[in-house]
Amino acid sequence: MDLAFSPDERAFRDEVREFIATHLPDDIRRKVQAGDPLEKDDYYRWHKILFDRGWAAPGWPEEFGGPGWDSIRRHLFYEEFAYGWAPRMLPFGLNMVAPVIMEFGNDAQKQRYLPKILSGEEFWCQGYSEPGSGSDLASLSTKAERKGDAYVINGTKTWITAAQWADWIFVLARTEPNAKKQEGISFILVDMRTPGVTVRPIVTIDGGKEINEVHLENVVVPVENLVGVEGGGWTYAKFLLEHERTGTAGIAGCRQMLNQLDELLERENIHDRRLAERIAEVDIELTALAFTELRVLAAESAGKRPGPESSILKVKGTEIQQAITELALDAGGPYFEVPLARRYYNYRKTSIYAGSNEIQKNIIAKRILKV
Amino acid sequence: MDFSLSPEQLLIKDSVARFAAEHGEGKHEDHWPTFAELGWLAIGAPDELGGFGGPIETLLVMEQFGRGLVVSPYVAQVVLAGTILKDAERSDLLEQLAEGKHRFAVAYEEPHARYDAASVDTAATKTADGWTLRGKKVRVLDATSAGTLIVSARTEDGVGLFAVPADAAKLSLEKYPSEDGYDVADVTLDGVSVGADALLGDAGDGLAILEKALDHATAALCAEALGLCSLMLEATVDYTKQRQQFGVALSSFQALQHRMAEMYIELELVRSMAYLAAMTLEDGADPAARKRGISAAKAQIAKSARFIGQQAIQLHGGIGMSEEYKVGHYFKRSTLVERLLGDRDYHLGRYVALRGAAVAEPVPV
Repeated sequence: MDLAFSPDERAFRDEVREFIATHLPDDIRRKVQAGDPLEKDDYYRWHKILFDRGWAAPGWPEEFGGPGWDSIRRHLFYEEFAYGWAPRMLPFGLNMVAPVIMEFGNDAQKQRYLPKILSGEEFWCQGYSEPGSGSDLASLSTKAERKGDAYVINGTKTWITAAQWADWIFVLARTEPNAKKQEGISFILVDMRTPGVTVRPIVTIDGGKEINEVHLENVVVPVENLVGVEGGGWTYAKFLLEHERTGTAGIAGCRQMLNQLDELLERENIHDRRLAERIAEVDIELTALAFTELRVLAAESAGKRPGPESSILKVKGTEIQQAITELALDAGGPYFEVPLARRYYNYRKTSIYAGSNEIQKNIIAKRILKV
Repeated sequence: MDFSLSPEQLLIKDSVARFAAEHGEGKHEDHWPTFAELGWLAIGAPDELGGFGGPIETLLVMEQFGRGLVVSPYVAQVVLAGTILKDAERSDLLEQLAEGKHRFAVAYEEPHARYDAASVDTAATKTADGWTLRGKKVRVLDATSAGTLIVSARTEDGVGLFAVPADAAKLSLEKYPSEDGYDVADVTLDGVSVGADALLGDAGDGLAILEKALDHATAALCAEALGLCSLMLEATVDYTKQRQQFGVALSSFQALQHRMAEMYIELELVRSMAYLAAMTLEDGADPAARKRGISAAKAQIAKSARFIGQQAIQLHGGIGMSEEYKVGHYFKRSTLVERLLGDRDYHLGRYVALRGAAVAEPVPV
């Protein structure tokens, strides 16, 4: 048993730390630190800097232009993002649609889409949830009717982050209306500039405008935009969700928020024993989760596929994130600071997105406890 | 990074698991010589005494003891007393311990100390040919079977540790059972005389040696808690799969599935913290970092183990309340382990005092 990072891994971490410190534009760093909303150009500029360094797609294998890192290096890389106040990388192209195209797409699709995801030239968004289909995703009702060499898509997709900036959306749509629920769903790539696609922003309780509803009205899409086989979409969707769930513990981000909280207490000269103990409890639980994440990563780097264990990271990680925002709110006391409140409201989303925490508990019960 | 066990470590784990499966719940006092033969009493001892391994090996032993509900005085002897004797460089005494020939009990806690080892009123006064000890110690683990008590007492130089024969004149033991039947005693020293060689280490080093040994023992308890919790969850999952109500297995109800998923998440935190505690000791971290790591582990485990234990009883329903059924025994042992050598509040307090700013690294590796 050797629980330390190797000298190579430490050197790698230092290299990433140094790179972020010297290359991340100051205006972007300040926004992330303050929790201010980022613009498309902020994401793009940072993506471009990483692309030029060869680090834009940490999760990609080398054959598609990725660095070919193992799970430990990817983990260290993303942790350094949080420590250095770098913006997160938008996952919709890089970590969601790209792995599906690599695994199930044809050569033409790989050549058409992957290089522009890698370079950041094309932004993507996700067309999964619908007004009537949240956790029960397979109940989705968006339809794609085959007409000659095209699909005609009709339906509404919702809770879509970055749709206002996206060039493309990957859509789960029903191609076989009479098939059983999980069958007859297909995975289709849609150009956002196609006539009939409209984007409507949804303002969230924190005042944010991150998410949108996307209406698809008689949207005509060439059949070559189908990924894999018609009716295979559910399999690809599940594959994508497994990819999405890994790395959601957000340990370093939590450490940063705790540091900010400590700074707040120091600045405001707050000495409250109960608050100090509540913070310490969250800090301790975060340490326990960080170690749990390392155990999962070590298993993955030893060749084990990412499994249902990532549900633990999702549930506990988001609970801790929320607990910290709650502590920050309480630390503000009567001085109900707007940025603290905004983050508290915003972070309520974390236990809902990427498979709600209740869904994660179903996964743990079924796949780990086998009940 | 590699979490896999070496062949030697797997061997220890398997042999302890076999013992626990064969002999089941109990103290197994008569098997103490077997433990010595198998080398379990020499874990952590120096090589020249036939010792091997360290905190990870201790974890493996204690986890299996927990799973089997083997309530042996292993922690009090091998880990607590053993670490003191090793750090005080008393290989003469440590050898006797490792061979299973002689038993020790560490008498450190005082009536109003509430787990704090630094709160020492017991006094050691220097005499012409040794020391005189006067004071009271409470809840001494494994005291009645010990031939020697290791007593902390205040000297002119700080706190010293003294090896006192259990049958010394003016020393009295008041034995009573703890809530799970474990052997504890209060000890009164009413002017007990000991020789100069009774002092372990230097007269001012005792507290540092004691606190380190207590941290080792606390880590071992964390590992025991891991074993207890893992078994309580397994028993609960099995039971809800078998128990039929409303014509279906209890495990088919989502309210219970989610509860068990929550128990599983807590169990994984317990597992992580048990390993983190052992690792903190393996690293030989400085005392502040060591205390912080151990207190984090114990505070988290105390919280998670209480949740797992309470839910194990709840999900078993009436049978969980029955003294005849095993899950209640695990719950009681777990409740005791939670509080032994410092409960959640104590360790949280110690952690807060040592915390300072949040650490920049996810774990101390």
